[in-house]
Amino acid sequence: MSAMSLTRPLPSLLRFVLLAAISIGLSFYSVEHPSLQQLGLNLARPMLWLNGQLNDAWSASSQYLQGQAALQKENSVLRQRVRALETENLALPVLRTENRQLLALLDSFPTAPGRVAVAQIEAQNLLAGNQQITINLGSAQGVYIGQPALAPGGVVGQVVVVSRDNARISLLSDLSSSIPAQPLGGDQPLLVDGRGNLQALSVPFQPRDTKLAPGTELITSGLGGRFPPGLPLGVVEAVRRTSSGPFAQVVVRPSANLAALSTILLLWPQTRHSSHQ
Amino acid sequence: MKAGALIVGFVLAFFTESLPLGPLYVQLHPDFVALLILYWALSSSQALSYVAIWLIGLVQDLLLGDLLGAQAISLVLMLVLLYTWISRVRRLPPWEQLFFIFFLLLAQRVSAWLWQLWVVPIAWHNSLLLGPALGAALWPLLTYLLDQLQRHWPQRRG
Repeated sequence: MSAMSLTRPLPSLLRFVLLAAISIGLSFYSVEHPSLQQLGLNLARPMLWLNGQLNDAWSASSQYLQGQAALQKENSVLRQRVRALETENLALPVLRTENRQLLALLDSFPTAPGRVAVAQIEAQNLLAGNQQITINLGSAQGVYIGQPALAPGGVVGQVVVVSRDNARISLLSDLSSSIPAQPLGGDQPLLVDGRGNLQALSVPFQPRDTKLAPGTELITSGLGGRFPPGLPLGVVEAVRRTSSGPFAQVVVRPSANLAALSTILLLWPQTRHSSHQ
Repeated sequence: MKAGALIVGFVLAFFTESLPLGPLYVQLHPDFVALLILYWALSSSQALSYVAIWLIGLVQDLLLGDLLGAQAISLVLMLVLLYTWISRVRRLPPWEQLFFIFFLLLAQRVSAWLWQLWVVPIAWHNSLLLGPALGAALWPLLTYLLDQLQRHWPQRRG
């Protein structure tokens, strides 16, 4: 690697200071100009593609290396789950009809959940502070900033950067994430915030006598219009009250397993207007 | 170090950064890119270019969506620290070298964390300590594997 091992015309400290100055400028500029992140995503495309191929090979080889007993066990669990879902599906037409009737009574209109597309993860960064994943769909497939992303279990986050072939999703647990929510079966407006922990979200500013209790399921409220209402977000795991603090600390476990994501569902929520057409 | 082996090494190192292997892996996984740079610097007779290392860090930032420049400058800082004591480090017995590798990996990860603090108030987390500790523990195995990779890498003809 003699080409990479360049001779050094400047003193080592000066070169370091120069690179530090460039890094500071780059960091400032990237924070002020999100378009730079989009450019970065475009530049990283070949590496992301390679990473996606390696990820696919990794999951294929790990499946291949599973023993026969493990596969039979997994098969039996999946069969049981299919049977349970088939039974639940029997009630679906009745519930759908009931739902339409109730919405008609409320002078509202039923909306279909919208179109979904399956995306594969090409890179992920799950360390605290910047919990983001990069997927293999981009603006060419109609992905847009703010788009809801789901996984088995519930919501995982929203799209924050889009390039032509890739998009970056900020997870629910990211420190910058905050999603309007409400308890299942209730109408109390809440926020579910990320705090840099993949297994624990928080509900800020809850009074000490909050009605939230361990086991309460939280769903998206639809406020803000970014997430359709009713998508599972998480379950309240603990409510801690300290004598000194004015608020209760509400810890929420995400419904989706954010630490072991493999496939992402991108949702194009159907607006009332489009569902009527 | 041979160019082909180095490129394969970096591709694999970038890949290990984004493996979906659960929360324990997130907490524990060492920075293989930093480990590879340390190996490259220690095994090469010539000094590495800071600009080349900075660009490798920038690729890592782009790939992971980190604040641009954070990984880049932290890798350069690690290299500056290594070159400050490199002749002494080369003479150290292997097990003492581990402590130095741990110190360098820790300096790299903590500096990247501090760099990002002005944008996001990230609290101290265990992976800042556990990742470098595991990285240092894996150092003997990694150097052995990379030595083997270099030895068996096909020679360029001509």
